[in-house]
Amino acid sequence: MLLKLILPYFKRNWLKILAGLLCMILVDGAQLIVPQIIKTAVDSLSTAQLDRSLLVRQCLFIVGLGLGMAILRYGWRILLMGSARDVEKGIRDDLFRHVLELDMAFFDRTKTGDIMAHATSDITHVRMAFGFGLMVLVDTVLLGGTTIAIMIWTDPKLTALAMIPMPFLVWFTRRLGHKMHAFHRTAQESFSQLTEQIRESFFGIRVIKVFNFEQTIGQKIDQASTDYFWKNLKRAFVGAMLKPLLALFFNLSTLIIIFYGGFLVMEQRLTPGELVAFLQYMGVLAWPIIAIGWMTNLFQRGMASLKRLNKLLDAVPSVRSPDLAARPPTLAGRIRFDRAGFSHDHQTPVLSNITMDILPGTRVGVTGPPGSGKTSLVHLIPRLYNLDAGQLFIDDHEISTLDPDLLRAHVAFMPQESFLFSGTLKENILMGRTIEPEKLNRIIQTCDLTATIDAMPQGLETIVGERGVTLSGGQKQRVAMARTLIVDKQIILLDDPISQLDTQTAHTILEQLKCTNPNATFIIISHRLSALAACDWIYILDKGVIAAQGRHEDLIGTNKFYTDSFQVQQFEEAHDS
Amino acid sequence: MTADPPAAIATQEKEIRLDNIILLKALWPFIRPYAWMLGLTTLLVFVVTFFELLMPLLTQKAFDGFILPTGPESFAILAGIKITSFTNFCLIFAGITCAAFVIDFCQSLFMEYTGQKIILGLRCELFAHMTGLPVSYYDKNSSGRLVSRVAGDIENMNEMFTSVLVFIFKDLVLMAGILGVMFFINSQMAVTLFLVVPFIIVSVLAFSKLLRNAFRTIRQKIAEINHSFSEGIIGIKIIQTIPSKEQFMKRFARLNQEHFSAAMFQIKIFAMFMPFIGFLGVTSIAVILWTGSFAIMDQTLSLGELIAFLSYMKLFFRPLRDLSEKFNLLQNALSSAERIILVLQQPKARERITRTRSPLRTIDRIEFENIDFSYTPKEPVLKQINFSLEKGKSIGIVGQTGSGKSSIINLLTGFYRPDAGRILINHIAHDSMDITDIRSRTALVMQDPFLFSGTIRENITPRQESHKDSRLESALEKADCTFLSEKFAGLDTLIREGGNPLSSGEKQLVCIARAFAFDPDLIIFDEATSYMDSQSEQRVHGAMKKLMQGRLSIIIAHRLSTIRDCDQILLLRDGRIREKGSHRELIDLNGEYHHLLKKEMI
Repeated sequence: MLLKLILPYFKRNWLKILAGLLCMILVDGAQLIVPQIIKTAVDSLSTAQLDRSLLVRQCLFIVGLGLGMAILRYGWRILLMGSARDVEKGIRDDLFRHVLELDMAFFDRTKTGDIMAHATSDITHVRMAFGFGLMVLVDTVLLGGTTIAIMIWTDPKLTALAMIPMPFLVWFTRRLGHKMHAFHRTAQESFSQLTEQIRESFFGIRVIKVFNFEQTIGQKIDQASTDYFWKNLKRAFVGAMLKPLLALFFNLSTLIIIFYGGFLVMEQRLTPGELVAFLQYMGVLAWPIIAIGWMTNLFQRGMASLKRLNKLLDAVPSVRSPDLAARPPTLAGRIRFDRAGFSHDHQTPVLSNITMDILPGTRVGVTGPPGSGKTSLVHLIPRLYNLDAGQLFIDDHEISTLDPDLLRAHVAFMPQESFLFSGTLKENILMGRTIEPEKLNRIIQTCDLTATIDAMPQGLETIVGERGVTLSGGQKQRVAMARTLIVDKQIILLDDPISQLDTQTAHTILEQLKCTNPNATFIIISHRLSALAACDWIYILDKGVIAAQGRHEDLIGTNKFYTDSFQVQQFEEAHDS
Repeated sequence: MTADPPAAIATQEKEIRLDNIILLKALWPFIRPYAWMLGLTTLLVFVVTFFELLMPLLTQKAFDGFILPTGPESFAILAGIKITSFTNFCLIFAGITCAAFVIDFCQSLFMEYTGQKIILGLRCELFAHMTGLPVSYYDKNSSGRLVSRVAGDIENMNEMFTSVLVFIFKDLVLMAGILGVMFFINSQMAVTLFLVVPFIIVSVLAFSKLLRNAFRTIRQKIAEINHSFSEGIIGIKIIQTIPSKEQFMKRFARLNQEHFSAAMFQIKIFAMFMPFIGFLGVTSIAVILWTGSFAIMDQTLSLGELIAFLSYMKLFFRPLRDLSEKFNLLQNALSSAERIILVLQQPKARERITRTRSPLRTIDRIEFENIDFSYTPKEPVLKQINFSLEKGKSIGIVGQTGSGKSSIINLLTGFYRPDAGRILINHIAHDSMDITDIRSRTALVMQDPFLFSGTIRENITPRQESHKDSRLESALEKADCTFLSEKFAGLDTLIREGGNPLSSGEKQLVCIARAFAFDPDLIIFDEATSYMDSQSEQRVHGAMKKLMQGRLSIIIAHRLSTIRDCDQILLLRDGRIREKGSHRELIDLNGEYHHLLKKEMI
């Protein structure tokens, strides 16, 4: 059911919502009393009578009513809008928790931008629809309904005539609102394109200057700006139409009331006070009627957003713990692929027929040209993806029989991109785990971070990431490595861990790793063959299959890719040190 | 769509101060071409207001003239013409209503058009100005900040022309008009109602200030939430394998709670202000009834006028809510204007020399003579750099990161100027030449291959020359770019943002094709192959070699294999040339270069 997402939060806030609605209904009622008082006052004035005591009472009553309305309005705003915000908060928490639990295959299919759109605009739409929209609905039905009822009760024919422009108004607000939204979006898209072009031009400023591209780029920006100008103007056209149109229809209604109502008063079939009250009621009606068109758009958008959110929340991670998960207390660290295959789309294989037996405590290197499936291979071990074919055993457990969280507690994995979260260096290394300081210091030393950290303004407490100090690629890589190694684990997977480090540092770090984790099983992916030279066994992948395997010495001379790459690198590496 | 850049969050909003308004004067040159449009809209605002004020007045005339005639005869005087038929009066009323609609619509649209037009002009001017700024300016300021000048800040200025002028000005004119008309109808009653004005002013000002803070906090918190969300997605592999889901969830929930509190604060502010304004509105009805009743008894006020007063008061309270929000937009716009002006006041790079001597036709020789250079005073980057390069020769520069390799390029291309020493081109001092002349004979291939979004053709066509496809195609062919016609649409291949759909090796080959198409005398390769896998690297090297033939070339690399074949190799350390010579000579020298080479033979 579509509403299951928001229902719990409605239940959580039901008392507030009820009280809020009550306040709103009372305000609506009070709002309708004022024109009645004006009516009696005008009627008595039109007969040139003045009842002082009545006037005093009337005025005091109005002021009192005004005060009461103010308090009630304060009440419903806090209660209802607060509840809407609470719903928003709840959905957002749910969404984030859910997203964190989804598997990698989901993130491959779904663009980050789309998920972000769910988190931002969709949640806002739902809040608007079920917070604001609901309020407006109640307001419209109650206030609008009662007002029209009073008007009909005063004079049905006059009411009918006065209502003639209203359906047009509702239709126009709805239509224009719709258009406005669509135009706003196209304008927004044009704007982000413009922004991206500006960004790209500033990024390439050196090339632009050297090649004298200033004018070409200037023209491109002019074009993009002009495109945005027209799209924006289209939006502005609709926007400029909306308010005058509302005023037009209301003024026409008012005019009908004055014209026909005027005749009625002249023929003494309506009192002047009633006519004035009628005009006042027309004013009260303005909001509910404008709101109908607006509200339907709001609900439409809200429902569409809710559907999208539900779809996202219904996405079930394909990597799940089996019901009777094996929970071995320890793992020795043997990794055995048995004719394993993997693909992202179940069609084009990324890996096929992989058979490996990696014994506990061995060091295995993996290399191969880009796109050969190296990264996918290590992704399978912490079960970021499920296998497509064949089997993968960790010790003697088939991987799908293990609880993924438990499995991951035994696997240290350093992904290819060394991503730092915004936070302190320490937070980035610990990631919420509690580690004794000596251990932390040791890892910092192992990963050659001591000098880096000493150079930071606040040492380990320096904020890094997008909002803090920018680290170089090599520094990031070493921090990511520290994060991976800070907890001793049985299986250590390093995906291209030294690509940004100089040969010497890389060499030292890898050597130390062996000493500090003598019993762990290592799998290291690297293009740098000198780094793999010390491995017990090296696999060369090509187009998803094992093209060759053996020790460094065996591969030199027998495998063309390995030999060629090694020779090229010989010249390159030494210089980095 | 990702999280807002941090720069957008840090945007400080400033109070409206006099000097901010004076700053607007600096923008005047950009606004002047559109001044007549602004003048016309302002005029239209008055017309629109006039019509809006007319409506209650017409209602009053309907009441006093026809419905409850104050005299024995039914009539109303409109613009000096006496109308005796109620039907005719209503027809005129209807006509005025329609006219008001048309004028209101035209005014709003024209205002938008004017505002957008000014903004369009300003944006293009600003961008053109910024591309003229020296490269050092780009090095000093983060590109995110610079982008937000041309994108976000200009957009805020747009708000100023539309929201501020349309709404604040229009609303203030309307409110002043209402007070004026009320005073005209019945001065005594109007004065009593004026008592409410100070309350309104104080509350609107207080409210707008509170609201600004509230909105700012909400914006900040939302940006943080979005940031945290996108981080969660980008870092998902790390979060799931550590595993540290709970910790992230906790952090997110805390941010979410903070956002909720900020939103509640905003709700509270609205919940105080809106009912307060409503209360003032209701009270003013009581005041009108009270004073009006006595006035009617004294025959100083007609019933129609009382009704008009009620309508005017309603009209008066309507724009108040918007007004306080628009004040905040104005403040935003002013601080944006200030930032834009700061950029516009940046002096452009001194690139063109007005008194041109002999124009540079070809570069035959480059010489660095005792060059010293530093980005910040007292932190020398280059010291005593001497070398020369002739046509058909190549120089390879090696050295660690920070040894000053790239600074040599920054000097040669005129992005920066040396502190001491001379750069000579064809024996003529560099700084007496038109830098654009030098650049038009130079091609640069950088570490991150840069292609802007557009077609390949746009990316490799020199500006001055006519588009001859055959020339461009031969450039592509020389640069080993046959894949473009095989895999993609050749010259018409559309490059999207970030260089998609080309791989980084392919992008670099296109950059080399661009260099071929420009047919320069001097080519600079700045770490052109550093992020590449071995196979792509070999292809790029092949294309580089072809390009270098018969030209002057400078290759910066951190891999020795790239520069081995150069005629001369400079080894840089700490800003000085430590060793200079050919590969062979440097090996014979048995120094640092040889040491490096030896290490790689292990």
